[in-house]
Amino acid sequence: MIEILRIVIFGAVVSGIWALVASGFSLIFGVSRMLNFAHGTAFVCSAYLAIYLANQGIHIALAITAGLLLSALLGVIVYMLTRPIRRNEIMVVIVTLALALLIQQVLLLSFGDRGMSLPPLIGGLQNIAGVKVTNIRIASFVFAILTIAVLEFLINRTMFGKRILATSQDSEAAMLIGINVERVYLSTIILSSLLAGIAGLLYAQIFAVTPEISLKALIYAFAIVILGGLGSVRGSIVASFIVGYVLVTTITFFGARWSEFVMLLTIIAILIVKPTGLFGVEE
Amino acid sequence: MKVVVAFAILAAILPLFVPEAYLYTIGLAYLFAVIAISWDLMVGYTGQVNLGHTTFVGLGAYIAALLQVPERMGMSFEVSPVIAILIAGVAAALVGFFIGIITLRLRGYYFALVTAILPLVFMQTVFIWRDVLGGEEGFSIGSENAIALSVIGKYYAALLILLVSLAIMLAIVNSRIGLRFKAVRDSEELAESLGIDTTKYKVLAFVISSFFAGIAGAAIVHYRITVSPELYDVPLMLLVILSAVIGGIGTIIGPLFGAIVIYLAKNWWLRELIATASLPINDEIVLYALLIAVGIALPRGIYAEVAARIYKLQR
Repeated sequence: MIEILRIVIFGAVVSGIWALVASGFSLIFGVSRMLNFAHGTAFVCSAYLAIYLANQGIHIALAITAGLLLSALLGVIVYMLTRPIRRNEIMVVIVTLALALLIQQVLLLSFGDRGMSLPPLIGGLQNIAGVKVTNIRIASFVFAILTIAVLEFLINRTMFGKRILATSQDSEAAMLIGINVERVYLSTIILSSLLAGIAGLLYAQIFAVTPEISLKALIYAFAIVILGGLGSVRGSIVASFIVGYVLVTTITFFGARWSEFVMLLTIIAILIVKPTGLFGVEE
Repeated sequence: MKVVVAFAILAAILPLFVPEAYLYTIGLAYLFAVIAISWDLMVGYTGQVNLGHTTFVGLGAYIAALLQVPERMGMSFEVSPVIAILIAGVAAALVGFFIGIITLRLRGYYFALVTAILPLVFMQTVFIWRDVLGGEEGFSIGSENAIALSVIGKYYAALLILLVSLAIMLAIVNSRIGLRFKAVRDSEELAESLGIDTTKYKVLAFVISSFFAGIAGAAIVHYRITVSPELYDVPLMLLVILSAVIGGIGTIIGPLFGAIVIYLAKNWWLRELIATASLPINDEIVLYALLIAVGIALPRGIYAEVAARIYKLQR
């Protein structure tokens, strides 16, 4: 019974974090039909910068802000790099993947492959029906849900969101009615990198980050966006909870090394049964 | 065609001028070239981004290695290297068929996403079944099972595998099948409206490509007499992509030369160059940066871009 409760609680925490990563990935794809393989980079880089600054004695809140700024900057870099080749899908994938691996190597050389984590903003723990949960886990779950709610509001209720939706439906028509499509691309990439950055900063306060996480984060993000349907932000939020629970259950009962395997099987099963995902956009 | 013949003649007489120590690495570069051109057959000709090509290299490598050392699986039989390499190729092709059938009937994005995950997943098998597959250190297949005993023999064996693979793949892309691959690449809708079964041709290209990747992986194992997980790994994948992009995607010949140059550069002078310049980076960073630069500035490959610019200047 305790075991099941633990899975329910930890699963929710993990799912909230992956929902942030996956919804950002899905957002860029929905708007610019671009697979950003460097998406996980914003996740690790923000975490590593914050950890580095915190170790130098800088206040945690300041370190976290710096991490967020770095993830936004990475979004700008990805935008600049892919701008001249956006129509060439193969090259976009190759260039962003190469960027992700390049930064992973830089992190490996500067920090080594040992896991590092960020001192949590909030200490202490709660006892939920016999399961001890640290406050930072609860806080990060709440924060992830709030961020997603803000994202939903931004996309569905504001002019900015209307421009994003218009561009994702038909970029040429959006251009015709006077939307600056380039600016929409740039702002969605920054927004999605910020989401990944937030996720990285939350993750680093709970678990240890290693440079390899940037690629692993991508696996989970892929599984989530495929299950939720490519390009559907709402779908990826629902899917991240399904994938998150599958993940936590796998790790609890079989061990962490099986997690990639189970992710692949999940993806293949979805592609066989319902390739468009739960909320996929028909092309 | 002239280029291929010239290359074959040059490669055949190379041992007359080059010492054995270099020949060993050049032979490995030939096998690496098989991986690069088979990647190009899929990506350059059907336009589907395969990011998991090394999965099939690794599959071929481990299957061939287990066939040579069946004791690791608690079995006992003997297989000649040629048969082992062929079985490895067929097994890789079968896995490619299975994955292709599921992912290639969908839009290209799904194929890229699923293949990107494959190397990371298959990499884990090596650690999960550590007793059989040897973990991060891999295992040796014993020098008696080598593809040839002398370095010269290995060199010619590698060259033979490269030339046969190259001839088959060139024949395929220049045939009517190759035309259909290109039709799928240029416009899937148009190809479909012409009555081309696009899924069938995409899967076919993927199966052929996986087959040669498996062959190359198995051949590398019989060449080096050891198998290790780096044959599955993502850095090798990026090296393959870099070779093909520099040489020019969709040309077969471009990736052939790209692969040989990049492989030799990486193994001979790149590390020394970085060491002498005393830069705080490793060779992988240089290669990734190069890939980003070439991908953005010269997406058609160095040869095609330079040729196109000279042509423009002349007009």
